Amino acid sequence: MKTLTRTPPAQDPSSVLYQRCTIDLATGSIGFAEIPCRNLEEVLGGFGRSFQLLAERTVSEAYSPGNPLIMNTGLLTGTNIMTGLRTYFSAYSPLKHSDAGLPAAMWSAASGKFGSKFKWTGLDEVVFENRSEQPVYAVFSAGDDGPRVELLPAGQLLGLSTHEKIMTLQRAYPEDAHFAVIGPGGENFREVYMGAIAVSTENQLRSGEGKSRFAGRGGMGSLMGYKNLLAIVARSPDKLQKITPAVRDINGEIVKGIGSARFQPLSQGGGGGTWANYEVLQAFYAVPENNFRPTGNDGVEALFRENVEKDLSIRSEGCFRCGIRCHNNIYQRQADGSRGEFLAKFDFEPLNLFGTNLSIHSGPEVARLIHACDDLGMDAISLGTTISYVLDYNQRHPDRPLGNGARFGQFTEILELVEGTGRGRFPELGRGLKRLSRSLGEVAYAIHVKGLELPAYLPETNPGYAFAIAGGHMSMGTHMLLAKEGKTSLDDWTAAITGPGLLQVGYDMIGLCKFVGVGIGHALISKAVKEATGLEIASADLVAAVRRAYLRGLALERRQGYTLAEYTLPEQVFTDPNPHVTLPSFITREFMAQLQERVWAVFEPEMDGLLP
Amino acid sequence: MQIVIKLFASLRHNRFAQTRRDYATPPSVAQVTADLDIPAEMVGIILINGRHAGRQDVLQEGDILSLLPLIGGG
Repeated sequence: MKTLTRTPPAQDPSSVLYQRCTIDLATGSIGFAEIPCRNLEEVLGGFGRSFQLLAERTVSEAYSPGNPLIMNTGLLTGTNIMTGLRTYFSAYSPLKHSDAGLPAAMWSAASGKFGSKFKWTGLDEVVFENRSEQPVYAVFSAGDDGPRVELLPAGQLLGLSTHEKIMTLQRAYPEDAHFAVIGPGGENFREVYMGAIAVSTENQLRSGEGKSRFAGRGGMGSLMGYKNLLAIVARSPDKLQKITPAVRDINGEIVKGIGSARFQPLSQGGGGGTWANYEVLQAFYAVPENNFRPTGNDGVEALFRENVEKDLSIRSEGCFRCGIRCHNNIYQRQADGSRGEFLAKFDFEPLNLFGTNLSIHSGPEVARLIHACDDLGMDAISLGTTISYVLDYNQRHPDRPLGNGARFGQFTEILELVEGTGRGRFPELGRGLKRLSRSLGEVAYAIHVKGLELPAYLPETNPGYAFAIAGGHMSMGTHMLLAKEGKTSLDDWTAAITGPGLLQVGYDMIGLCKFVGVGIGHALISKAVKEATGLEIASADLVAAVRRAYLRGLALERRQGYTLAEYTLPEQVFTDPNPHVTLPSFITREFMAQLQERVWAVFEPEMDGLLP
Repeated sequence: MQIVIKLFASLRHNRFAQTRRDYATPPSVAQVTADLDIPAEMVGIILINGRHAGRQDVLQEGDILSLLPLIGGG
């Protein structure tokens, strides 16, 4: 980014310029442009910028040459501000689509060190246009006279797992390089619409263990596969600025703050990461089991940390220079008690969606399923939730089962479903839950909203899911409101969705991880921007820009054919409430209808003029 | 008067899962958390007899107080 004047960018966004590289994969032509920002959303970056480009395109089919894959960073990516590591991938999604059949605009984000390396090449954004006839990978390098780009043949990477691709590339680029790759899932894009993009981490390259981070949601890896782009390399020496006392203080506040404390290790007095959700939600019998149907018993406790720890070794680790050690990395425990082979990383989502939600209660088995999904490069949420539907269907229809006939709790058969989906053998699963359930005519227990599978929080606890624009809990921060505060009124939910809930997406613009633990409107964020970039952006302007970006996303959904009726929850919530959940049951059809009316009454007037 | 206190997840670390405590006068939730040396900001959810409650709510004989930590998505 380049700044021309000292005028605050909220007043003159065009004084901030970003560096875009456009690559035509069909012809190999490469162009660079220094582009003045049109508004504060473009200054902040991430989906705030990419969605404006997507809004300028008319795309009716995700796998079409006119659908660009946009990779960019946020304003704080690659700075010294803790968690400033994010890379964003945006496009019209092969997975998420309206009932009209049009693809929705989506973005997905990942940490790791790749984003910083990319930014240090001198670029803020790359737009991959069209598709290559042959498999290629792109190399972005920091040169003396600016960024350099090459497209190289990638046949040697075909068929390799995400981790194998990264380690193969590391051997070719042993110095100062990080990597973003797809797995077999993305390569099999015709049968797999939920392909993820894996990005490398320092820990992975140092240890040789499969510790990638994933931009999973929405099938960005599948689109990369369609484009025949198997990997992206970012090469640059580290270019971190000197840490000033002010930045040190900001990072101190982040790492010691109560917001991030819940993600810190137990041994450090923290909450132990998102894994703790298991124990908290179980207090209400609200941990998803057997396709989001808690049973009201204690079976899920087998996956509580204290029980998993009996068989496996857990190590808390973090991303590059991040003091929030939120990764619960799981290793085999040797006979002598020492740490053995790395197995997987346990976050609440994959742990639950490949665990109790499939009636798998063994830590080592869950680790194996997560590892398989990661290696094949698929989104753990989309695949886990789709498989839970398949198991549910098979239980209801033993005479005409889906896939390999797997049932709840059958580890070997479920592993076969994971591997087979990634290899393209189960396209009915790989193309996602909405398509599958509609083709079968059994949608009531298909746990998705607007074509994107839900994460591991029960739909009956969060009507805000209906207004999430890029993933149920990552783009609408209301998923814990009922459990945390017991809120059930229309006033409370309308206020949450139209207020703080939507600000969740701000992190997916500015380059910070959500685990930074303070709201986007917190003075600390504004201060961090000032210290790291010199830009003066008031908190109120930040919040307003994030709100516009969110509403632009919502407007774009509507333009892609979403009707008001699609802003709802899985039908089972209304027709078959679960008696075991002890949280208040409050989401009736009438409640949802009134909520929709009230939320749109706030949003619609603000959406005018946000699209070209 | 006697109350039952239940702790969950990280709040159990170096404490307990469940215990009974005697109080001479009805305590507030804040008083109980202070007695247990639990920083106020570490408590994300407070339940009294299974219903959401606040830090200033006062407990009665036989009440079950459940304290749960802050939680977050991911």
